[in-house]
Amino acid sequence: MRRGIMLYIGSRLLQSLLVLWAIATILFFLFRLAPGDPTVAFIDPSFTEEQEQALRARFGLDKPLHEQYVIYLANLVKGDLGDSFFYSKSVAELVLEMLPNTLYLSFASLFVAYVIGVIGGIVLASIRGRFLEQAGITVTLMTRAAPEFWVGMFLLAVFAFELRWLPSSGTSSPGTIYKSELEKLTSKDFWEHMILPTATLAFYLHGLPLLLMRSSMLEILDQDFITMGRLIGYSRWRLMLRHAARNALLPVLTALTLGIGYSIGGDVVVENVFGWPGIGRLLVRAVSASDYPVVQGAFFMIALIIVVLNFVADVLYGLLDPRVGASEQARIS
Amino acid sequence: METGSKLDLPAVLVAPAGGPRGSWLGQFLRTNFEVFQRDFLALLGLIILLFFVVVAIFAPLIAPYGPTEVIEQEGIWLSNKKPSDQFILGTTNLGRDIFSQLVYGARPALLVGFSAAIAVSMIGTLVGLLAGYFGGWVDALLMRLADVAFGIPFLPFIIVLSAFLDPSIWNVVLAMAALLWRDSSRVIRAQVLVIREQAFVSAAKVSGAGHLRIVFLYIAPSILPLTFLYGSLAIGWAILTEASVSFLGFGDPNVVSWGYMLQDAFLSQALSRGAFYWFIPPGVCIMLTVMAGFFIGRGYEEILFPRLRRQ
Amino acid sequence: MTLLEIRDLSVIYRTQQGTVQAVDRVALEMHQAQHLGIIGESGCGKTTLLRALIRVLPRNGKITAGQILFKGRDLLTLSEREMRQLRWREIAMIPQASMDSLNPVQRVGRQLEELLTVRGKLDRAAARRRAVELFEMVGLGTERLEHYPHEFSGGMKQRAVIAMALALQPSLLIADEPVTALDVIVQFQVLEVLRQLEHELNLTILLITHDISVVAQLCDSVAVMYAGQIVERSSAEQFFNAPGHPYSLGLQHAFPHLVRPKDYLISIEGYPPDLHHPPQACRFAERCPFAEPRCHQQSPALEEIAPQHWAACLRAEEMDSLRQQAGDPQVWLKTQAARQSANGNGRHFSGNHHDREVKTLPTAQVAAAQPLVEVRELSKRYHIGGGLAGLLRGQKPQTVYAVNHVSFNLQRGESLGLAGESGCGKTTTGKLLVKLLEPSAGQIIFDGQDTAGLSRRQLREFRRRVQLMFQNPFEALNPRFTLYRSLAEPLIIHGWRDKAQRRARIIETLEYVNLRPAEAFLDKYPHQLSGGQLQRVVLARALVLRPDLLIADEPVSMLDVSVRAGILNTMKGLARELGLTTVYISHDLSLLQYTCDRIAIMYLGHVVEIGPSQDIISQPRHPYTQALISAVPVPDPALPNPPLRIREGVPRPTQQAIGCPFVERCPEAMEVCRNVFPPAIKVSEQHQVLCHLYGEHAASPRLPEPMEESLS
Repeated sequence: MRRGIMLYIGSRLLQSLLVLWAIATILFFLFRLAPGDPTVAFIDPSFTEEQEQALRARFGLDKPLHEQYVIYLANLVKGDLGDSFFYSKSVAELVLEMLPNTLYLSFASLFVAYVIGVIGGIVLASIRGRFLEQAGITVTLMTRAAPEFWVGMFLLAVFAFELRWLPSSGTSSPGTIYKSELEKLTSKDFWEHMILPTATLAFYLHGLPLLLMRSSMLEILDQDFITMGRLIGYSRWRLMLRHAARNALLPVLTALTLGIGYSIGGDVVVENVFGWPGIGRLLVRAVSASDYPVVQGAFFMIALIIVVLNFVADVLYGLLDPRVGASEQARIS
Repeated sequence: METGSKLDLPAVLVAPAGGPRGSWLGQFLRTNFEVFQRDFLALLGLIILLFFVVVAIFAPLIAPYGPTEVIEQEGIWLSNKKPSDQFILGTTNLGRDIFSQLVYGARPALLVGFSAAIAVSMIGTLVGLLAGYFGGWVDALLMRLADVAFGIPFLPFIIVLSAFLDPSIWNVVLAMAALLWRDSSRVIRAQVLVIREQAFVSAAKVSGAGHLRIVFLYIAPSILPLTFLYGSLAIGWAILTEASVSFLGFGDPNVVSWGYMLQDAFLSQALSRGAFYWFIPPGVCIMLTVMAGFFIGRGYEEILFPRLRRQ
Repeated sequence: MTLLEIRDLSVIYRTQQGTVQAVDRVALEMHQAQHLGIIGESGCGKTTLLRALIRVLPRNGKITAGQILFKGRDLLTLSEREMRQLRWREIAMIPQASMDSLNPVQRVGRQLEELLTVRGKLDRAAARRRAVELFEMVGLGTERLEHYPHEFSGGMKQRAVIAMALALQPSLLIADEPVTALDVIVQFQVLEVLRQLEHELNLTILLITHDISVVAQLCDSVAVMYAGQIVERSSAEQFFNAPGHPYSLGLQHAFPHLVRPKDYLISIEGYPPDLHHPPQACRFAERCPFAEPRCHQQSPALEEIAPQHWAACLRAEEMDSLRQQAGDPQVWLKTQAARQSANGNGRHFSGNHHDREVKTLPTAQVAAAQPLVEVRELSKRYHIGGGLAGLLRGQKPQTVYAVNHVSFNLQRGESLGLAGESGCGKTTTGKLLVKLLEPSAGQIIFDGQDTAGLSRRQLREFRRRVQLMFQNPFEALNPRFTLYRSLAEPLIIHGWRDKAQRRARIIETLEYVNLRPAEAFLDKYPHQLSGGQLQRVVLARALVLRPDLLIADEPVSMLDVSVRAGILNTMKGLARELGLTTVYISHDLSLLQYTCDRIAIMYLGHVVEIGPSQDIISQPRHPYTQALISAVPVPDPALPNPPLRIREGVPRPTQQAIGCPFVERCPEAMEVCRNVFPPAIKVSEQHQVLCHLYGEHAASPRLPEPMEESLS
């Protein structure tokens, strides 16, 4: 019955890979063809010709462009992103070090935002046409219009500096060192540090699922099978939750793919406000310092997260909606 | 009551607003007018935007000081002053008048907002029209491009761009034009696909109408409200993005924008000093202009998709 | 025993334009086991009445007066909670458009079980057993319980909904257009299921429909609704033999009748009154051919004109004589509405137009020698899901064989009907003929010229000479153009520079299609016109370039029965006057019989039978044609349909037939049919059939009867 589903997942996977390849290619050309040599920032005017050549060779810049491209792609597949100009570490190491922090923040805020958003959307849909609904929508639009870093600044000023309830920066209090990620994740200190950045992001992110859930609910509630449910005499809540909400959730899930893209964009700003050692902050610092390999690596990592999460959301969608992957045949007959 | 057979399209896409007579332009203006007439929030958004436009134009007349002017008294900088009669919103730690900065900040915000909105909605509309109308490989190519654009994280992309380009508010416009057409083009394409199959379009084809005639006379007018919807949303996005970029320090250091002010406040420990008068007003201004764009967009959405409003 | 009694029920809708009196003082009575059919056109308030009955009205609807006594209790006094308890257990409904009445993301069996456990208070196991029982009852395989709605065909969904409606053994079953939008064979089968259950389960049914033949098939009594009121109530027998209201008379004469074809279908000109301001007189008076001055002043009450027969007409006593007169089409041209639009179905334009058109027509001899259109081996295939794009969308590559090796000629001035179920390729054929699509193989020769590879100039000329008329008049005109602009577009495209000439041509054409005075329509927008008027505009646009060939795709299927005949008559008349060659595409055989010289029956993209209309209808040769004809519902309870002989099955356009495309469903299938494509056999000079039964293999052994024979 769901023969089509494997085909669907396979095609999504293929598409994700294509997007990744396109992004990698854009990155490559952006960095090679941009005005000025990427090593300019690194090469000291006092370098001799040979030193410069050696350096160029070290970064593979002495080879023809197409060869560089092939090497670049091959390295990318191997996970080799080159070495940082400034840190004595490989880019891969740097990025992997920061990755968990970014993921914790992203997942936590997306989770909170979607739970609030979905519930809020159902509530707004159930009071449609009332003044409260309009007020709810207006407030939600306001949360989407407020710049995240500003919201973060406000929360910092109030909860960290005025009330001193929560820490203002980083993932841990000064002097704390965790032996493992597990220890970090189970410590109260870490979660205290998580609260403000997560709240800031979720404050912004919940608007999209909320508004979508509402409009999706309203659309479903107007469909014939809901009318049928009313005729059958199902209770209002059974109709709202069991029949409408499940169907309405599907487009909201698809929109998750959009939400993820914007959330990671927001992460960059929020990480900088809260001094959160994640990929976003790494990226901003690398750009400021003209550390091109790190810029490239951090950017690619962010794109990778987005593409992977999009893929997961697509697969979830396919599993939840029996119509996805149904063969053309069924639709014709 | 049986309504007979009507289109499944939103009313705005099919029925001209207003009376029976009038030119195409007249109808079009009336549709736009109707948005603001019907929807209070959209009207409010329009008023807010107009307010900031006036502020931006007459900034030198409204602001008591220049945006970067360091105010001295007897050779001493008047820095970190709390709000008073002389400084409505106080001064920065370099002795600049916050209120004046706020007034001048409207200029880059609106400039970025409107130019990005125009760029994004024009590209998005064109791509959507082409992909939807011609289909086939044109569609496949453009939509795969849109997929790629969806895969590229927007804000990080601008940040990376600023690594190569000189700091300028136009970077934001450029990046938005390069990426954000993806949303509007997809929606417009979907709408074109529906309209393209309408019998009145086939009828034009059977009568011998050429592609250009069909696209611009039959299809484009029906999707213009969508263009406006995405245009007004893009105003908000652009202003937000410009603020974020400036806040991260990649903005034009010579332009005082609201984002710049917030960065200034953040780096100058305004938070720990509790200088709410410094960092609250720019944020409120950003929020108001962005919200104005969203409200207008919602107005279009309401008449485009009246289902949401119906009770 | 009286089960349901509706007393003076009134329902209003609040709209932006004011209050609509959708149902106005309706009184009805139903006893146990009665099958009552309410007949009415769109907007007459029949759906509202049904919705009011179970108190599920749209939010802007309100019951303003009356009582609904069900088993002695007034439903209008019940609380919402009590009402909810009563719904489905006592009154169940088969809703309109029940195609979408099933939850798309839940298995159908699960939905049925939910209904049985939540509303029927059965435990899971009992619910499961009952679900199986119900599916068997409506003729669905029990393995179907595990399927999702999108895996069901339209007829199967309808059966599933019927199963749901019967699940709790309601005392009253109400059905809103239960078979509308289904293909004729499926329609017949669903009607059969209902008819069978009606008797087996001793159901009480209240059914509403616009189609008097559905009432003829299912109901023992009839109520006719017009403009929010009931204008006639009687037994079905009385209604069909001796209708008691002029509107009922009109409806009966407007329906094409396959078994007893009419030479001329009448059209009830005009439209129902605006219910924002209902007239304080007989609401039908404007469209009534028998209206007297008093009818425009006085409102008639529903009175018993014969035992158990009520009608609301001031001239009810003269009904016998009116019935006699109603058979004459000329009578229906004398209504006020017909006079107002200066209409005359028989009247066409004056001779001088005629002369000019005749010049462009070839002489009779040429016409006989050379057909206007020759279609040779025409095929159209679609590839879906192929290529990289399809792979990325996750589609299985498939080929849809929409049109297969179709050949026919069109003589100048003749009219050909293309008939078949939805998906049979008839619309695709029409689109190929007008070059909205390009054929995958085969040729279309128009006036001696192959239409493939026309030069730009030739294509332009082709576009001038070949026009298409669309099914849905609400979509066929650019909503942003005035009618003048819509009609001017083809002229502008074809280089008519002179404004005055354009205007003259447009006015002339509008008058051809009986939109008079034409000037009054020029500045109107499509949404300001009714469906019937719009379809006339669509016809006018097709004719404004004075084409030679007109393809009409379901030209009246979206319109109310009372105005259908008007359009068809106009089209027939104009075709004759303008020497137009026409192709009618329709699922409705009785309509094609009325309008066409010849009919071609299509199945899975093949023309399986073609011949003169009379031969096709009275002596169908192909088993599929025979099935189609016996499935057409007859608007007369005295003439029951012959048994339908067709096997269950779904046409699969994604498989190309090696043998006969119909073999899976053919009741006469022989072994040869599986492997050998049937030859085209000439039954008579003009009549041709694609079937082995009439060929050299007629003696081939029959395939065994399959287990699953159709229900009939």
